[in-house]
Amino acid sequence: MLQFENSAQTRIYLDHNATTAPSKTVLDHLPQMISEWGNPSSIHLSSRGPKNILRETRKQFAEIFKCSSLEIIFNSGASEGNNTVLKSVWEKFGLEKNEYIISQIEHPSVLKTASYLQTLGAVIHLIPVLKSGQIDLEFIKNKINSKTALISCMFANNETGTVFPIQQISDIAKKNGVNNNILMHSDCVQALGKYEIDLAALNLDYATFSGHKFYALKGCGILFAKKNAPYANLIHGGGQERSRRGGTENVLGIASIQVMLQELKYLNQKISQMQTLRDNMESEILKKINNVSITAVESERLSNTSSLVITDVDGETMLMSLDIAGFSVSTGAACSSGSPEPSPVLLAMGLTRNEAQNSLRIGLGWGTTEIEIQKFISALIEIVERIRSIDTSSKENGKQNYV
Amino acid sequence: MVSKTMSNPTVNTIKKSKGKVLVAMSGGVDSSVAAALLVDQGYEVIGATMQVWDYSNCDITEGNGTCCSSLDVDDARSVADKLNIPFYVLNCEAKFKASVIDPFINAYLNGQTPLPCVNCNTYLKFDHLIQKMKELGCDYLATGHYAQIHKDDTGKSHIVTSTDDWKDQTYFLFTIDPNIVSKLLFPIGHLKKPDLRLIAEEKNLVVAKKKDSTGICFVGNAGYDQFIKNNVSKNILDTKKGLLKRFPSGEVMSTHEGIHLYTIGQGKGLGMTHHEKLFVIKIDSIDNTVWVGDEKHLFFDEVDVIEPHLLSEISDGETLNVKIRYQHKGSLARVSKTETGFKLKFQEPQRAITPGQAAVFYRNQNILLGGGWIKT
Repeated sequence: MLQFENSAQTRIYLDHNATTAPSKTVLDHLPQMISEWGNPSSIHLSSRGPKNILRETRKQFAEIFKCSSLEIIFNSGASEGNNTVLKSVWEKFGLEKNEYIISQIEHPSVLKTASYLQTLGAVIHLIPVLKSGQIDLEFIKNKINSKTALISCMFANNETGTVFPIQQISDIAKKNGVNNNILMHSDCVQALGKYEIDLAALNLDYATFSGHKFYALKGCGILFAKKNAPYANLIHGGGQERSRRGGTENVLGIASIQVMLQELKYLNQKISQMQTLRDNMESEILKKINNVSITAVESERLSNTSSLVITDVDGETMLMSLDIAGFSVSTGAACSSGSPEPSPVLLAMGLTRNEAQNSLRIGLGWGTTEIEIQKFISALIEIVERIRSIDTSSKENGKQNYV
Repeated sequence: MVSKTMSNPTVNTIKKSKGKVLVAMSGGVDSSVAAALLVDQGYEVIGATMQVWDYSNCDITEGNGTCCSSLDVDDARSVADKLNIPFYVLNCEAKFKASVIDPFINAYLNGQTPLPCVNCNTYLKFDHLIQKMKELGCDYLATGHYAQIHKDDTGKSHIVTSTDDWKDQTYFLFTIDPNIVSKLLFPIGHLKKPDLRLIAEEKNLVVAKKKDSTGICFVGNAGYDQFIKNNVSKNILDTKKGLLKRFPSGEVMSTHEGIHLYTIGQGKGLGMTHHEKLFVIKIDSIDNTVWVGDEKHLFFDEVDVIEPHLLSEISDGETLNVKIRYQHKGSLARVSKTETGFKLKFQEPQRAITPGQAAVFYRNQNILLGGGWIKT
């Protein structure tokens, strides 16, 4: 059974949607993994181990996720994967078939790539999100026409945990009667380790994954591109990945993914364990703290994610206070500067700016324990009480600016 | 997995804490030393930088490295790491724009010379951060201002000037709510700048040799006129054009490109050539006239101040030391109450009393009493 390294014994990490600590198993295998330092492209003996790692990881991934090992490309992570997918489709169809239907709450690596394609002439239709957290399927149906090239929708949202009906969207892409050749992509970053994925059943053309959200190392990811789906290199170079992605492979990272693939045999057990903890946590928080709501609670959610709106409690202060008390949580998507803006995902769902600013995201992990959750709830209660006890009237509400 | 960054920097729990302090860290040497001294003194210290945006050189398009990665924030973070204290970046962009940038621009467009640092202190450092201080359960708020807190015999805390006369920043602090003074710490106010740099070097802080910030933080090297040009539409700026007239005769000397380009007392860059040395005497925002004339017309011994703030009681008609701009040494004036604030009668006429700047009162040269804004 998995155990987790927790270097700061007192620190409790509840931000697993941002990243995960490498699993104990991965750490245990590190010396062996690093000993395979050869270049997989070499001909001599030193390449044999690394080649073996690539081959076995590909094979195991294909078996678990129901695809062909030829359809797997190792890369640096999901941002690279998402860029590759959108740019591949653009390169294939260009202005001939230039409409893209993309959910409004995708990761920036999808949204910003779409904005870039827009500057080249692409037409982007952003699928709105409903108050429930679900995306508007009718919108997709209405936007489809003969020029639609791609639909892109994440498997599950990083902030609310909402699971989207990918299979249903694929059906719309492939069987709409207007244009049955629409390509379908799903950013599956948040699903890995939290949901069972069957690429064949989902009928996807592309799927993107990242190692570090799944207890493997950072800087490695997997792009699934279905046979015959348009593909264009983002990185040109040597003949790696069947000439689909230049650059010597991140063998260490890929080996860590391989280790974690073997751990997927515990997936169902982990899902239900996280779900029990999460559900108990939520009901206890609702019981002990008033004026709390759970975002997207009516939708199917990932078993590990909880997005709370705690009225009149500034998320930024809550995060800082919890951090100082030894808990890592998040207020929304992390920004590179560390300066949080109200979450665009929550705003897109129709939450007010205030509600978005009063939000807190808790992401449980495979190693999260009942005791950790209990400690977290106690700390949260104390902090919320303290912040709510302070008069929040601010000068800008009462007085005029002096000029 | 054992790394420095993974350790939980929840401050010195071994020594008995003198209290919990939120310290505003700009990434400059003053606030960095302030944080270091507080750690030495045995406080539990939490560092915070207000992200207010560097409007002068921010390009938020992709491929431009400046967005979201201010070097000053990096410096502040690095000092916090060195001191092993928690550190956070607070998003204050919207508040900063509404309460500092917009009034700054509007003041210039109305022919005044604004003082944005006071608004930043009023609405951000000593309001937003005070709020954060309370919410975080801290006992004190500290900043790297050159100012000191002294307690009088009755136990009341007063803001007094810094030991470093040249750097003293109490002028910018006159709007502080008197009720929070006892919650403030100014850990570097008793130091002179060169000594402070020595401390930074001894403590091996990365910012020890960093240049002093001068001027207005968000304006940048291109100057305030360029900043306004970048942030106000040409149509609006065109409505600020007008005539340069000789004071007091009214003789038209030239045209000008906008009243926002002039400040009372300005003698250079008037946009015209003339054989005598002329100065801006008055800016009339109603018809956009900029009056220029002999320097003697710049001197006045009376001024009205409005929107007063007082940190301590003053008697009506009391003679106090008054500073009318940051670099002003201070002059004695009789301060009388009016309906909207105070009337000041200086013992000596003062040069270039400028609307938009503050008149700040001191007792015994060094105790900050409050002040108000110089009326147009």
